[in-house]
Amino acid sequence: MLTEASGEHLLEVQSVPALANRAVEPTAPPGRFQTLAVAHATARKAVRSGVILGLVVGLYVLVQAFSYTSTYKTSAERAKLASTLTSGGLSPLVGPARQVQTVAGYTAWKCLMALTIIGAIWGLLTATKLLRGEEDSGRWELMLAGLTTRRRAALQAVLGLGAGWGALLAVASAITVAVGRASAISISAPSMLFFSLSVASSAAMFLGIGALTSQLAASRRQAAALAAAALGVSFALRMAGDSSPALGWLRWASPLGWVEELRPLTSPQPLALGLIAAFSLSLLAGSVYLAGVRDLAASVLPAKPGSRPRTALLSGPVGLAMRLTRATTLAWLVGIATMAWLLGSETKVAVKALQDSPSVQKALSRLSGTSGQAKVYLGLSFVIVALLISLLAIGHLTAARKEESSGRLDHLLVAPISRSVWLASRLLLACAVVTMAGVMAGVVAWLGTGHGHDGIGLSSMADGGLNTAPPAICLIGFGALAIGFVPRWTSLVLYGVLAWSFLVELVGGLGLTSHWLLDTSVLHHMRAAPALAPNWTSGVAMIAVALTAGALGIAAFGRRDLAGD
Amino acid sequence: MTTAAIRTSGLTKRYGHVEVLKDLDLEVTEGEVLGYLGPNGAGKTTTIRLMLGLIGPTRGRAEIFGLDSHRQTVDAHRRLTYVPGEASLWPSLTGFETLHLLGRVRGEVDLPYRDELIGRFDLDPSKKVRAYSKGNRQKVVLIAGLMARPDLLILDEPTSGLDPLMEQAFRHCIHEAKERGQTVFLSSHILSEVEALCDRVGILRAGELVDIGTLADLRHLSALTVEATFDGSVPDLTRIPGVSAVEVEGRVVRCQVAGDVEPLLKVLAFSGVHELLSREPSLEELFLSHYGAGSGDEGVPSDAH
Repeated sequence: MLTEASGEHLLEVQSVPALANRAVEPTAPPGRFQTLAVAHATARKAVRSGVILGLVVGLYVLVQAFSYTSTYKTSAERAKLASTLTSGGLSPLVGPARQVQTVAGYTAWKCLMALTIIGAIWGLLTATKLLRGEEDSGRWELMLAGLTTRRRAALQAVLGLGAGWGALLAVASAITVAVGRASAISISAPSMLFFSLSVASSAAMFLGIGALTSQLAASRRQAAALAAAALGVSFALRMAGDSSPALGWLRWASPLGWVEELRPLTSPQPLALGLIAAFSLSLLAGSVYLAGVRDLAASVLPAKPGSRPRTALLSGPVGLAMRLTRATTLAWLVGIATMAWLLGSETKVAVKALQDSPSVQKALSRLSGTSGQAKVYLGLSFVIVALLISLLAIGHLTAARKEESSGRLDHLLVAPISRSVWLASRLLLACAVVTMAGVMAGVVAWLGTGHGHDGIGLSSMADGGLNTAPPAICLIGFGALAIGFVPRWTSLVLYGVLAWSFLVELVGGLGLTSHWLLDTSVLHHMRAAPALAPNWTSGVAMIAVALTAGALGIAAFGRRDLAGD
Repeated sequence: MTTAAIRTSGLTKRYGHVEVLKDLDLEVTEGEVLGYLGPNGAGKTTTIRLMLGLIGPTRGRAEIFGLDSHRQTVDAHRRLTYVPGEASLWPSLTGFETLHLLGRVRGEVDLPYRDELIGRFDLDPSKKVRAYSKGNRQKVVLIAGLMARPDLLILDEPTSGLDPLMEQAFRHCIHEAKERGQTVFLSSHILSEVEALCDRVGILRAGELVDIGTLADLRHLSALTVEATFDGSVPDLTRIPGVSAVEVEGRVVRCQVAGDVEPLLKVLAFSGVHELLSREPSLEELFLSHYGAGSGDEGVPSDAH
C-alpha cells in the first residue's frame, strides 16, 4: 500500500522521463508532509489559538507590571502594599504574596495564578476539541483511513498540540522578555523566560489531562467536563494548601500547586518542573496508548447508550435552545459566580492595599467622592464580570449560528416556524441569560463581601451586577447583525468586538488614549457601579442600539439563503 | 381547476456566475408521486431548498399548494414535511426526544402511526443520536417526515444508508401515502426505487429539466433496443431511417431504433432473420442516455435534449 500510494504521489509531480526512471527504481518512502498529515492538521489549529493565548499572557503581564510601577511609585508605598497583601488572607484565592514590594514579586503574585488557570482552560479545551471533537465530527475517521493507525494518528495529534504549546510559550516569552527590558520594570530575560515557562506548564499539564479524558469519555462535551472537574479539584486542593501552613503539603497534590511551587520571579525552584514534565508526558503517552487499544468513537469508561426520554423542554425552538445550552450556561454561571465571590471576598484587603497608595487615592478621588472605597474597588473590578458575561452572550450566539451551519436548523425551519421567530427567540434567550447572570454576579459579590462591607447594600450590588448586562446585550445585537449579513464571520466579529473593547479598556486604564477611542469599546459605556450609580440612560442607549441591530439582523436573516460553514 | 401540490415557473438559482438551476417549470399534481432524477450537482437539492424557502430564487417562483414558498413560507410548511438525505441531528437528544421535538414543532402527529413506524423501521428510540449509525439516523428523519401524514412529502434521497429490508419498509410507506392521497416528491439516485414508486419521472441535467413524463411516455419516445441473428450474411442496417448505434458481432446485430420501426422490419423480413429480440429501455438506460459517458457532475450541456 505504501509503495503504491507514494508512487501515485510522485506521478503527479514528476516529468515523463523521470517517471520512466522511477518505474524501475525502488519506491521512495512517503513524503514528510504525507506522513505527518495528522500532526500538521492539528498543529495548524493549535498554533493559532496558542499564539492568541501567548498574546493574552504577554499583554496581561505588560499591563500589570506597568500599572504597578505607575501606581506604587515610592518604595514606602510598595512596602505598605507588601505588608497589607502578606497579612491580608488572600493566599487561598490567588496564592501567597512574596516580595510584592518589587515589580517582579508583584507581577508574579498578580499574574501567575490567573494566567495559570487561563492556560489550564486553554489546554483542556484545545486538547478535547482537537482530539475528541475531531473524532465526534467524523473527520478523524477520514484521517485514519489514510496511511496511519489509531495510535500513530494520536501520537501525531499530540505532536500537533505540542506545536500549539510551543507557539504559546514562544509568543508569551517574547512579549514578557521585552516587558522585562523596560527600564521601569527591569526584570532579567532568564527570569521572564522561567515565568513564561511556569505559566505554559499548566497549559501543558491540562493539554495532557484533556488528551487523556478524550480517550476516557464518549463525547467531546463529556471529555471537557471531566477535564474541567480535574481543574476544579486541582484548584480546591491548592486553595486548601494555601489556606494554612499545616495544610501546605496539599499543594503537592495539585498540578496548580506545582506551578505555584515553581515560584517564578521571586525564588525560582526549577525542580518542580521535572514533576510537571513527567506528569504531562505520562498523560500524553497514556492517551496515545489508550487511543491504540480502544475502538474508534468508543470510550474507555463505560458509555451510557441511552436514557429515559426527557421531553419537558422539547416543545419548540426556545425550549430546544434551553435544553441544548443549559449545561454550558450552567458552567458559565458557576464560573461567573466564583469570580464575583472572589472579587467580593477580596474587597476588604484590596481596599486596604489601595488606601496605602496616595497616588491611587488621587486617581480614584473622582470616583470615591460620594461612595466608600469598597464600592470603588468593586466598581472598577466588575469590568471582569462584564467581560465574562459578554463571553457568555457570545457563546449563545455562536451556538445559534452553529445550528444553522450544521444543517440542524433545517429541521425546524421546514416546520411552520418563521426564521424571524427562531432568531428573535434565540436572541431574547441570550438577553435573559446575561441579565440573570449580571444580577446573580452582583448578589454573589455582595455575599462574598460578608453580607456587605463599607456600607455596600444588596440592592446597590444587584444594580451593579445588572449594570454589566447592557454591554453584553449590545454584543448580542451586533451578533444578530453578523448572523443576518455575514453569517460565516459571526464568531470572528463578536470575539473581535469584545477583544477590541477589552484592549481599549486596558489601555484606557493606563491613561494612554483619547476619548473617541474609548467610545468604541462596548465596555466603556458601562459606569463603574456600585461606585457610581449605574447610568441607566447609557444602558438604555446600548439596549436601543442592540434592538436596532437585532431588528436589522433578523430582517436580513429572513431574506438571505441559509448558509453552511 | 385543481391547485397543484408543487408548481414552479421559471425557477432559477444562480451563485456568482454559475446558474445551478435554470428556468425550471414543473408541476406536480395532488396525489402524484414524482421521481426527480439527476447526477450529483445537477441541481436536485437546490430545487428542493428553493421549494422549501430555505434559499431564495434568483428568478421565478415556487409554489406549494398555491402558496409562494419564498413569501408565504410558514403557511406552505403547514402542508408538508421534508426528509433530507443526510440527517444532521442533535447528538445529545435520543431518537425518541428528536421525534417528540420534530412532532411538536410540526404541530400535528399521528402518534399511533409514529409508534407503528418505529416498529416497522426497527428503530431503538432510547439511544442517543450520537450513538446511532448513519442508517439509524436516517430512520429517525424518515419516521419524523412520515408520522405527520402531511399533504406533501418532499424526500431528498431518503433511503441513503438504509439496508434492503428497510428500503422495502420505506416503499411500503410510500405506497400507503399514495393510497391516502398524499403527494410525494422523491429525489433519488436509486433508479429501481423510482421505477417502483413513481407515477412520473423528471430528469435534471446541469440545472435543466431535460425530460419529464410517465415511464411509458419516456420509453415510447426513446429508442428500442433490437438484437437480430441472421442465418446468412448480415445486411447493412446503418442507412435505415431511425436506426442508430449499429454493432455487428459475427451474425448478430444490435441496434437502436427511434420512432417508426417499419423500415427496419421490412429490411429484416427479407434478410433471413433467425432470431429477433426487442426490448424497451430500462430507466437506467433512459437515465444514462441523457448524460452519456462524457458528462460529469457539472454537466456541460454537450447533448442537450
